Amino acid sequence: MSARSSDDGLARLWANLRAAPRRLRETMFRSGPPVSDRARSSFIFGNVFLHLHPARVHRWSLRWATTWGLGMIALSAFLVTLVTGVLLMFYYKPYPDVAYESIKNIHFVVPTGRFMRNIHRWAAHVMVIAVLAHMARVFFTAAYRRPREFNWLIGMGLLVTTLGLSFSGYLLPWDQLAYWAITIGANIAQSPREITDALGITASFDPGGLQKLLLLGSDEVGEEALIRFYLFHVMLLPLILVALLAVHFWRIRKDGGLARPADAEARLGPPHPATYPVFTEAPQKTYHLAAVVRGRTPAVGNGPEGTVPAMPHLLYGELALFMLTVGICLVLSVLFDAPLKELANPAVPENPAKAPWYFLGLQELVSFSAFMGGIGIPTMVLIGLGLIPYLDREEAGTGEWFGGPGGGALVGRAAVFGLTTAVALEALAIHFGWLRQWWPEVPQLLITAFNPGTVLTAIYAAYSLWLVRRHNSTRAGALGLFTCFLAGFVVLTVIGTYFRGPNWEFYWSPTHWPGH
Amino acid sequence: MPAPHPSPSATPPRSARGVTSHANKILLLVSSLATLVVLGWAALEENLLRDWRVIQRNYAAALPPDAKASFNPQLRQIIVPALRTTDRCVTCHLGMAPGEQVVPGQRLFAAHPPIPHDPGEFGCVVCHGGQGLASETADAHGTVPHWPEPLVPRRYAQAGCGSCHTHLRVPNLEQLRLGQALLERYDCLACHAVDGRGGTLRPGGAAGLPAPDLTLVGARGYDPGWYAGHLRSHAAAAAGPWRTSFRPIPDDERGALAAFLDSRVGAPQLIEAKALFHSLGCRGCHKVGGVGGDDGPDLTIAGQRDPGQTSFAGVPGERSLAHWFAEHFRNPSAVVAGSQMPAMGLSEEEIDALVLFTFSLRRSPFPEAYWPRDRIRSERFGEREFATDGATLYGTFCAACHGRSGEGMRYPGMTPFPAIANPDFLALASDEFLTAAITRGRPGRRMPAWGVGEGGLRPAEIATLVNWLRKSSGVQPERDPRPPRWVRGERSEGERLYRAACSGCHGPAGEGAEGPALANPVFLSTASDTYLVETIARGRRGTTMEGFTRPSPTRRALASYEIHTIVAFIRTWEAKP
Repeated sequence: MSARSSDDGLARLWANLRAAPRRLRETMFRSGPPVSDRARSSFIFGNVFLHLHPARVHRWSLRWATTWGLGMIALSAFLVTLVTGVLLMFYYKPYPDVAYESIKNIHFVVPTGRFMRNIHRWAAHVMVIAVLAHMARVFFTAAYRRPREFNWLIGMGLLVTTLGLSFSGYLLPWDQLAYWAITIGANIAQSPREITDALGITASFDPGGLQKLLLLGSDEVGEEALIRFYLFHVMLLPLILVALLAVHFWRIRKDGGLARPADAEARLGPPHPATYPVFTEAPQKTYHLAAVVRGRTPAVGNGPEGTVPAMPHLLYGELALFMLTVGICLVLSVLFDAPLKELANPAVPENPAKAPWYFLGLQELVSFSAFMGGIGIPTMVLIGLGLIPYLDREEAGTGEWFGGPGGGALVGRAAVFGLTTAVALEALAIHFGWLRQWWPEVPQLLITAFNPGTVLTAIYAAYSLWLVRRHNSTRAGALGLFTCFLAGFVVLTVIGTYFRGPNWEFYWSPTHWPGH
Repeated sequence: MPAPHPSPSATPPRSARGVTSHANKILLLVSSLATLVVLGWAALEENLLRDWRVIQRNYAAALPPDAKASFNPQLRQIIVPALRTTDRCVTCHLGMAPGEQVVPGQRLFAAHPPIPHDPGEFGCVVCHGGQGLASETADAHGTVPHWPEPLVPRRYAQAGCGSCHTHLRVPNLEQLRLGQALLERYDCLACHAVDGRGGTLRPGGAAGLPAPDLTLVGARGYDPGWYAGHLRSHAAAAAGPWRTSFRPIPDDERGALAAFLDSRVGAPQLIEAKALFHSLGCRGCHKVGGVGGDDGPDLTIAGQRDPGQTSFAGVPGERSLAHWFAEHFRNPSAVVAGSQMPAMGLSEEEIDALVLFTFSLRRSPFPEAYWPRDRIRSERFGEREFATDGATLYGTFCAACHGRSGEGMRYPGMTPFPAIANPDFLALASDEFLTAAITRGRPGRRMPAWGVGEGGLRPAEIATLVNWLRKSSGVQPERDPRPPRWVRGERSEGERLYRAACSGCHGPAGEGAEGPALANPVFLSTASDTYLVETIARGRRGTTMEGFTRPSPTRRALASYEIHTIVAFIRTWEAKP
């Protein structure tokens, strides 16, 4: 081997070494620097994380008023809880008493532990609120309609999983708040006993007891329940949530992006000159072929003029929302500590023992009838929500806020109606009592069937049917029903949160509670 | 027909890149900057502004230069796994941290006052309460919501002993004061120091050894032959303290001295407070450790009261347990709605002592290996935590209702409690009658049964009480040759007389009002006919019960056969269940 060729070898090695960072970058991002719209599009679909986005996105979807970014906020809050939750797992010990001590240690000793726990807690609340608001947005913009019916169902699954995640996390600190909230929750799970007891068949057929046993692994909240909730919280439910999220996002694209009105183009006006022309190079967008074949994509016949590259338009929006969510969680965490009460003590019941806030509406209903409040009405509501996209087969108003017959005015009237009815029924029940106070001997089954909760549900349903008739539209009925239930949820939650004291009695303010 | 709806986006068209994207960028910039600022603040707060970091900086600044260099700012803690103690108090109270220096002149960095225990062995919360896990001042002191055990105030610090030393054997206040007075009178304090007083002279002269400090003599024990030794030295000495400061002490006074010395365990305020508790008769209504009456709440762990579970509605002013306890002693029913406890008319000093004592009722559930001798002796060997002489027993269990010297009590809103030291009563009541009355109580009335299964007193202790009643009053029972039941009489006539003369005080059905209840099964089964007849005939001097064989301005005298008919009538209540 000559000296010259070995010099060559060294020179090549040196050159390759110098080129290594550039090549690393090139191999990581296969499409080159994202300097043109085409390169940006390639960047999006060449990236495993980003290719959930379309390469180009419709301008209608980018309007803030289309979504208010609620889905992205929910996802961001989830990511925040994911990261902080994993950090908390380093120190948390899922065993009674030790769990409480480990939370105290996280709070007082672990560097930034208190901050992480606060972020985790507030991000979880942000997530619940964002998921609920996102659902309302999708409903009010009629975005659940064909072809997005199934994604609406996935979304409901995500809502239930989110509530499950939040609820299972509630027990982990093992303080009085956690212990009694979970006790309440477990008793709600047991509420079918109200029916079986009234029928006298609990001894042989006890689905309520079985439900509670499955939830707690024992008759009472104890170490079995704690390890169970821990497993739900850090393993099962996050896995389910991530799986559902993947389907949810995938379906958004497969169902043709976000819902928008047929005349979205016209409403938006001509695009900014800087985004035009689109097809300066050969189009690489082939993935919509299936949609083209089905003939439902708005691109058919319209051309892609309404779209802009997802990078940077969509990405900036998403990043901004993510940082906004992070910022909100951080500010909340600096201002407020996550609650931590006394060590759980089965001998000293919290009075009132309250479930997490998003279940306080249910708890309010449970105070009238455990079965109806805990199982009956929620099941009816979930079935009703799931049926909406299959019953509402109309076209008018898709993608518009309060779109459909009646529109915003109908929603406004329904909100007033829903609020008034709920407040009036509550006032009646609080002031005059209910059947049991009037006729102490009244059979429980009658109360189960006929209580403020069921009456309210029936009134809402009747109102909704009347709207269907009046506007000759299922959508109108759905708008009214959804708005009423939202209003009822708010009224019941507010009453449960602020106006219920010891023994679930009504008080204008906690300062009037006896013993305080 | 569907109603027409307005178009929701009637606003002028906006270009995607021109407006929205730019706004997104601004939002991203602002939220990122805000996040950075908050993160920066959190880092600053975490690393510089924590209470304990500030305190440790101050501490380091106060240290001499060489110690300052080796001082390592970090959390410090005392860990006792068996007690589940993790106390981070020494993170700030650095003078008490093992291996750290005291900074003179600064209370926070002072050493622990001398106590028989090493704080490093038990931690801090065991005695003082508070939240050992915490590293912030307010949390650590437990004066925050949702911490059930706030710090016991410094002035009541000796209450902390009650976590473990639940069974200190303490006499009543009078005995305690007697022992103390004897200590002074016999000039023991000339040579011996007790609780920080005395001990100025050295018995062997200025060059000799100091006399032993007696502050902890009750816990550490002392030479039982001390008196003989003192006598010998006294006899051998020609001059000096042995001659001038010592003189022979009679046996009974030596006994009172010994009782006082036994109570010198290093917690004089706690002992004094418990002695007061043993003088007021609180345990007539309250159980402590299974012994006491049932009318009031069990006080065994009353010092562990959770302020969060306590109503401060009737307690104006400061929201602290100490204040709650004090207000409660001043006026129980104003603090606890529906409380049966009478206002005891206590002085402020007494209230303060009782607050201390209440804080000391803690009895923490530690493993037995950590029990002190007094607790083992009591819970395993049956010794009492109260002195079992008659005076202390009476003070502990009887004084609240029957008066400190048996004169009876009247509390507003309650039926009067009988004067059991009344000589007319003691002359007629046999010892068996007294013993039965104490053991079985008065069912349905406030007098509880004091037998082992109920109030928890042992037969020997009840006998001691009866003897003490006799001894302190000097009244012996009259001999009664008759059988317990001998009266014959016309019941209907007795009923008529009872209605006229007795029912005003004893109630139409003998249920008791101003006077004691007569229709009480235990009373009727243990009172002899002689007792009843003679009580009616002679009355009770000093009470409203007059002797009925003498006429009064409002009625004539009763003949003895009439008294018999009344007794016969009273006996008819006995048959009823």
